[in-house]
Amino acid sequence: MKRLQLVDSPYLVKEAKVCEVRQMTEHEKYFKLMLRDEPDLDHEPGQFVMVSIFGVGEAPISICSSPTKKGYFELVVRKVGKVTSAIHRLEVGDTVGIRGPFGRGFPVRILEGNDLLFVAGGLGLVPLRSLVDFVIDNRRDFGRVHILLGCRSPKDILFKDEVESWARRIDVDFSCTVDRADPDWKGNVGLITSLIPGVDLDPTRTFAVVVGPPIMYRFVIKELLKKGIPEKQIIVSLERHMKCGIGKCGHCQIGNYYCCQDGPVFSYDEIKDNLEAL
Amino acid sequence: MKKVKVAFFDFACCEGCQLQVANMGDLLVDLLDRIELVEFREVMSERGGDYEVAVVEGSITTHHDIERIKKIREKAKILIAYGACACTGGVNGMKNDFDLEDVKRYVYQDKADWFDTVPTMAVDQVVKVDYYVPGCPVYIPEFVRVLKCVLQGLPYKVPDYAVCVECKFNENECMYDKGITCLGPITRAGCNSWCTNNGNICYGCRGMVSNPNKNAQMEVLKRYGIPLEWIINKFNMYNRAKEIQPQEKE
Amino acid sequence: MDQYYRLNKTECREFVGALTSRYQVVAPVKRGEKSFVFARISSPDEIASPEEYIPTIIPPKKYFFPQRETILEYDAVAQRQKAVMEYEKVVIFGVRTCDLAGIQCLNMVFSERPRDVNYLIRKNKLIIIGMECWDYCDEHALCALMDNHLPKGGYDLFFSDLGDYHLIHVNTEVGEEIVRSIGVFTEATGEDLKRLQEFREKKRSAFDTGIDLSHPELMDLFANCEDARVWEELGERCLSCGNCTTVCPTCYCFDVIDEINLDLRTGERFRIWDSCQNEDFAKVAGGESFREERSGRQRHRYLRKFKYPLAKYSRFFCTGCGRCSRACMAQIHIKETIKALIAERAGV
Repeated sequence: MKRLQLVDSPYLVKEAKVCEVRQMTEHEKYFKLMLRDEPDLDHEPGQFVMVSIFGVGEAPISICSSPTKKGYFELVVRKVGKVTSAIHRLEVGDTVGIRGPFGRGFPVRILEGNDLLFVAGGLGLVPLRSLVDFVIDNRRDFGRVHILLGCRSPKDILFKDEVESWARRIDVDFSCTVDRADPDWKGNVGLITSLIPGVDLDPTRTFAVVVGPPIMYRFVIKELLKKGIPEKQIIVSLERHMKCGIGKCGHCQIGNYYCCQDGPVFSYDEIKDNLEAL
Repeated sequence: MKKVKVAFFDFACCEGCQLQVANMGDLLVDLLDRIELVEFREVMSERGGDYEVAVVEGSITTHHDIERIKKIREKAKILIAYGACACTGGVNGMKNDFDLEDVKRYVYQDKADWFDTVPTMAVDQVVKVDYYVPGCPVYIPEFVRVLKCVLQGLPYKVPDYAVCVECKFNENECMYDKGITCLGPITRAGCNSWCTNNGNICYGCRGMVSNPNKNAQMEVLKRYGIPLEWIINKFNMYNRAKEIQPQEKE
Repeated sequence: MDQYYRLNKTECREFVGALTSRYQVVAPVKRGEKSFVFARISSPDEIASPEEYIPTIIPPKKYFFPQRETILEYDAVAQRQKAVMEYEKVVIFGVRTCDLAGIQCLNMVFSERPRDVNYLIRKNKLIIIGMECWDYCDEHALCALMDNHLPKGGYDLFFSDLGDYHLIHVNTEVGEEIVRSIGVFTEATGEDLKRLQEFREKKRSAFDTGIDLSHPELMDLFANCEDARVWEELGERCLSCGNCTTVCPTCYCFDVIDEINLDLRTGERFRIWDSCQNEDFAKVAGGESFREERSGRQRHRYLRKFKYPLAKYSRFFCTGCGRCSRACMAQIHIKETIKALIAERAGV
């Protein structure tokens, strides 16, 4: 067996430096990264990267920062397995491998000029934050903006300071609910679906962008359809197992789609008849 | 790099896994650059001292074993169960099919009262186990892989798919095509189908996959005219004491 | 113009002998009572007799897309990496038309952007010599239904046994070079081509499909079968052993795994065949599996052969080789599944 060196292999990683690490909750850590050889990741909101630790492996991670933030990008990683455990051990100054950005992000060009309803459940806020920040940084280009956030409990709210700053903005209509309150909690208690009927929106010109755990989609979409939002104006981002990021390894397949290339962002009308999507 | 102190212990077993490790050859030399052996009965005469990693072979079959494994667990930061006896109880588990007193009388006859025995247990039925290396004996490439995970501080997951996967990679003629029963379809892979590569059947020494399709397997056996009891006996040879627990996965 | 040569059977040994002296040659050899594998040969006697041959345990895809292949070497401490591809220059002799079709399918997948460089470089290092079948190899073959019982390119040379001699079609310059350098061939005449046509004519009746469906009908059958009861039934029988996908000439799913050396700094990242039939295949880190049931996994396997690739590549990804049926201990047979779907649709 002979070995050839490849200079154009899609498996080569880009080097990135860790410039900030923050423990967010018990299982989630925040990382701010800078590419060594490129000024920017040049991504779209909603895209993801493969994070690579030599000797351990790779894992697909959503980018949670907006491309309007120049010179760096941000990730939030939940510790669930071998690779994410190794990522959690990274410290400021360490180097990590990055492949990507991969996939089809949120359709920002189409969203422009329309009203937006963000629905984030739990960790779903992470990919959605890349779009929320993009919209806030280009606020004039969009219509009304509603943000609905659902979490298991108050201590599970990610990006708490930022979320509070969204709540204070006059150009954002923000609501939040938790499944289980703690004694200090003064907000809503209940499932995120309970917030949807109360939102004042014009369904013809509203795009709903929904990201959350798999179980959430079906219930939230039902409520959104009840509000009269057309199927093609409901946008979701789906999580799947991924190994290659380039539409080959087969793990992320959803019916005829490869989530890593055709997704992770889909409109509801693209996937509603797909048995394996939601 | 600081060497990690490792101690090997054995309980009820044939010490065949230790023998596999002792016979590793050059790989063992490389390994000794990383670890410091503080106890290993088959290769060392002196013993003792502190250890961070305990590598435990054999199943737990006496009250004395129970106390000893608890002490090892207390001392060790990391405990690796290696070999079928430690992971699933192994062949010693066959004892559990009989009355304990009868077993004792049969083995020790008139001296039976001198000996203590309890039903065979896998190590994790007594203490917490951090890593598993199943198999009778352990498959050395997997054993080394697990040690590297230990040294890296990372979890290791025993594959949860059938031995058939690896057996097909190796293009062995299927035992069922030869009219021979084989436990490959329901046994966890990770051994690179070691036995079937060498013309033997799979005896299920690595334990069952976490979600075997039992009804379907019975249908297959019926079709090949194999009595169910026969296959249960065969599987119980290694797995009577317990099934290996499903573990976390990335 | 199409170029054809004759090779008298008496010269066959000399041809294979010359081939093995010039190249590394692999061909189907007998592995067990009822099984064959593609393996390295050093003499023509090792090649399995075409009368006995049934498709090898694993198709020749293993030369194009090996079971395990290193894609990256690295030094985790120095953060150095080197992308690599592994290859061997090999002549694959005796590739049947079903397997030629399989290679064509893989070519499409791996050349689709983003391209798989490892595969694409490796495939050009391989020389393919095809061989025609004149009858079904066994009851599991369905190559005629998939229209893969006749050669449709994908080879350098193609051998058709016409009795006392082979007629050889030269499809590439590489093939022509082999013919020219091993001087045992004679140029074919119009008579020989006529004879080939007669043999192919006879093939029509030998390769009765047994399932009366045109390709558009087959497409239609699988286009709307998601809710079929068949999948539940297959799910109950399936052992999830993964045999069907490992032996399939068009299954290409893989896992990517890191293996660090004992120095805990250098190591390799490799990819290894994976199977959609395995329990964990579609499980995400959080534990959610998107094809938890065996029925869903079996359906997925069938749709990846008979539905999804039609939209993407305009062809079926079942080559009709029958390997999945042969390798299934639970006797999940592709022909039976198709018949059950037809019956179910007819309301039987």
